[in-house]
Amino acid sequence: MSKLSCAVIALTALLAVPLVRPQSAASPDLPQGPLQAKAITACTECHEARIILQQRLSKAAWTKEVDKMIKWGGLVEPQDHDPLIDYLSTNFGVDKPEYVADRTGSANPKKTKK
Amino acid sequence: MISRRDFLKQASNAALAASAVQPMLAWAVGDSALAVPGKEGLIVRSYRFLDLETPVEFFNTWITTAEHFFVRNHMHEPATFDPSDWKLNVGGEVEKPYTLNLAQLSKLEPHSVVNTLECAGNGRAFQNPRVPGVQWRKGAVSTGRFSGPRLRDLLERAGVRATGKHVMFRGLDQVPGRVPPFIRSIPIEKAMDPDTLVATRMNGTALPEHHGFPARALAPGWVGAASCKWLTEIKVLDKEFDGNFMSPGYRWPNQPGKPGEAVKPEDTHPLTALNVKSLVASPGDGSTVRAGVVHVRGTAWAGEGDVVRVEVSTDDGSTWQPAELGNEKARYAWRLWSFQWKAKSGDYVIAVRATDSLGRTQPMAPVWNPSGYLNNAVDQVKIHVKA
Repeated sequence: MSKLSCAVIALTALLAVPLVRPQSAASPDLPQGPLQAKAITACTECHEARIILQQRLSKAAWTKEVDKMIKWGGLVEPQDHDPLIDYLSTNFGVDKPEYVADRTGSANPKKTKK
Repeated sequence: MISRRDFLKQASNAALAASAVQPMLAWAVGDSALAVPGKEGLIVRSYRFLDLETPVEFFNTWITTAEHFFVRNHMHEPATFDPSDWKLNVGGEVEKPYTLNLAQLSKLEPHSVVNTLECAGNGRAFQNPRVPGVQWRKGAVSTGRFSGPRLRDLLERAGVRATGKHVMFRGLDQVPGRVPPFIRSIPIEKAMDPDTLVATRMNGTALPEHHGFPARALAPGWVGAASCKWLTEIKVLDKEFDGNFMSPGYRWPNQPGKPGEAVKPEDTHPLTALNVKSLVASPGDGSTVRAGVVHVRGTAWAGEGDVVRVEVSTDDGSTWQPAELGNEKARYAWRLWSFQWKAKSGDYVIAVRATDSLGRTQPMAPVWNPSGYLNNAVDQVKIHVKA
């Protein structure tokens, strides 16, 4: 194998890393829905799902958050903008029950409520 | 006992190992537990980036152990960090800019401050209507003994020009996407205060990695955001730093607005010192205790003020009884308090409020603001007393 091929493979592997995020206790899932995949790529590139799971916001507040995050590098295509806000305000609206957080360490390995 | 050299070597090795598994986390992650080395039993508000809240039951000591000390990160912790390469630049509006390495910084005369560090957003989850941000409940606060050279000494060595009005801190946090870097400034008066530090130690050991190893700013009595971690640059400015975490971030309305109402940035000012505040550490909210003498205890703090009184109510705020303040105290540190309550069977709400030397007393309800800062409402816990 040529040095160039090795370099290309290495570079491809390096670039691929941020695109694949294993889901585990360390990174819980966002809820299912038509915009789940978009929310994962747009939001969890920079922060994990927990930051979203714990919010309880109105649609107006979600709109402000999504627009701020787009300004900060979140990749949301124009056609996904309004559906993403709908997805977030439906799943994490003000009427949803309180989020129950995990704890660190093995003493209290409580699972995340979704 | 581990030597400083060994410690640095181990930290360096750990950093190198961590850098090999970038970009996700700076430590190994299993599938079954949220393992954060050095942090046990803390509430996970966020794992990537790391935000850990201290459960109130751990607030039973004056000094919070590093294991139980809350963590607030705005960005990802530096992962490819090598202490032997670390440098601290001091510059800006100064006569003689210079750079220090860790060995040089460690030789400067140290000063110690016991400080209660609280995130400005502590209690955000209790705002109504809810506001976005890390949904801290009660425990984004802890108390530590911080040591390191005075910031004033570093600045005087550089010679601050008359034009120097603010001091900016830059850390080594890793910024994702186009997120603005976490850079803030404090006024020159606070920077020159003899208790404002470049802290290199916490509770008698080198700063733990999650708390800013090898050096952090420490602006005692002020919101935690003033105390930048993983410090790498100190820059004197002729005005307040112009960046997201100074405006619109970390500001307080000049006039309290209606809950839910937007506030224009020009009608706000930067957050500085903490409010007067107290917490019930025990009994726990929702717990059941036996009738008789119930030992109620907790903590109270007041930023740059001194706690002068802590009162407890067990009758929905109709009457208040004085709590006993603990002996351990320091200017910027919380006071432990305790109260012996003769409880008969029934359901109660235990409420606690503190008053400080600046004449401030806690309000019964949070003062609403768009980012949910400085919630110092009276803490209330529900208790069932059984016969």
